[in-house]
Amino acid sequence: MSDALHTDVAASARDALVSGARQCVVLTPSYIPFGLVCGVAAVQAGLGELGAIALAAFAFAGSSQAVLTQFLTTGAPLVIAVASGLVVNLRMAVYSAAISQRIGKAPRRERILWAAFLVDQTFLFEEQRHAKRAFAMHPLAFFLGCAAVLWPTWIATNAAGALLGAQLPPSWQLEFTIPLSFVAMVVPLLKTRAHIVAALAGGIAGVALFAMPLKLGLIGACVLGTCFGLLVDTWFKASTQPQKGSEKRE
Amino acid sequence: MTGSNFWGSVEGWIAIAGLAIGTFLIRYSFIGLFAGKRLPPLVERGLQLAVPAIFAAIVLPLIVMQQGQTDFVARAPHLAAACITALFAWWRGGMLAPILAGMGTLYALQYLLR
Repeated sequence: MSDALHTDVAASARDALVSGARQCVVLTPSYIPFGLVCGVAAVQAGLGELGAIALAAFAFAGSSQAVLTQFLTTGAPLVIAVASGLVVNLRMAVYSAAISQRIGKAPRRERILWAAFLVDQTFLFEEQRHAKRAFAMHPLAFFLGCAAVLWPTWIATNAAGALLGAQLPPSWQLEFTIPLSFVAMVVPLLKTRAHIVAALAGGIAGVALFAMPLKLGLIGACVLGTCFGLLVDTWFKASTQPQKGSEKRE
Repeated sequence: MTGSNFWGSVEGWIAIAGLAIGTFLIRYSFIGLFAGKRLPPLVERGLQLAVPAIFAAIVLPLIVMQQGQTDFVARAPHLAAACITALFAWWRGGMLAPILAGMGTLYALQYLLR
């Protein structure tokens, strides 16, 4: 992987594209289980096979797809289901802010391409490439190379889940792979004390507020968890201010 | 919204369009809509913390609740499975191995506690 990062520095746009694609091929197996689960869940939620595939293609955001379909399955109102899915995607505003810092005055067509394929993995690869060499050539081509591999893979795995899912026996309890996939997703995010507190508070509030109408308890739990996390963040930061400063200077 | 068919339902397509358009607008926010602007640090931090908070709020009820009631006895296998998945995810990361380990734990405990 690091070889590719070094060799594409002064290359043509085409080389950058190929480099992005090559690096992302190794990620494709990790899409398979979650793509299958999302496809199955979308069909169970009543979106139909075509809807399941369209959801994967146009939303291209697995965790929010799973949240949306989970809510539709439990009979939550449409607005709440969509809003909950979007809350999960709010993290992408952070990615968006990071990308916008370095694309400068790119034309609108390029901006739309950046936005259309801005997912966790493509952002992460772009970040890593940028961190290695701030002025790596042709970042958009590299980014689109990643997307050219990951987007079709995502659609294909969702389609497979949507088309084959109905044939799987219910005794396998495949629906339980959704909470498990969320657990697997969230654990690597728990990087700081504040993240852990936000998750704990959010989880406990989620259970405590479960009976609230229209699934509003979820939004409440999210707000509560975030506030607790921010509190811990400020408190902890205040107590380690000198160290933080020296870290920054390095 | 049960009784699925190939084409889905009108509500389903509204939901798909809502998530797709909303997600694009989030992605396009600072790249296009508010280009050149920065997020206030507190908001940026809040957005990062909201993600584990909402995931946990979704996940914990799915793990420990059954028919709207918290039931630690009936859901003990599920809770254990989630813990094993969390351990695997923390240890190695990835998706497949943690999920397989969790489902294996679930099946084994359900078989033993039958």
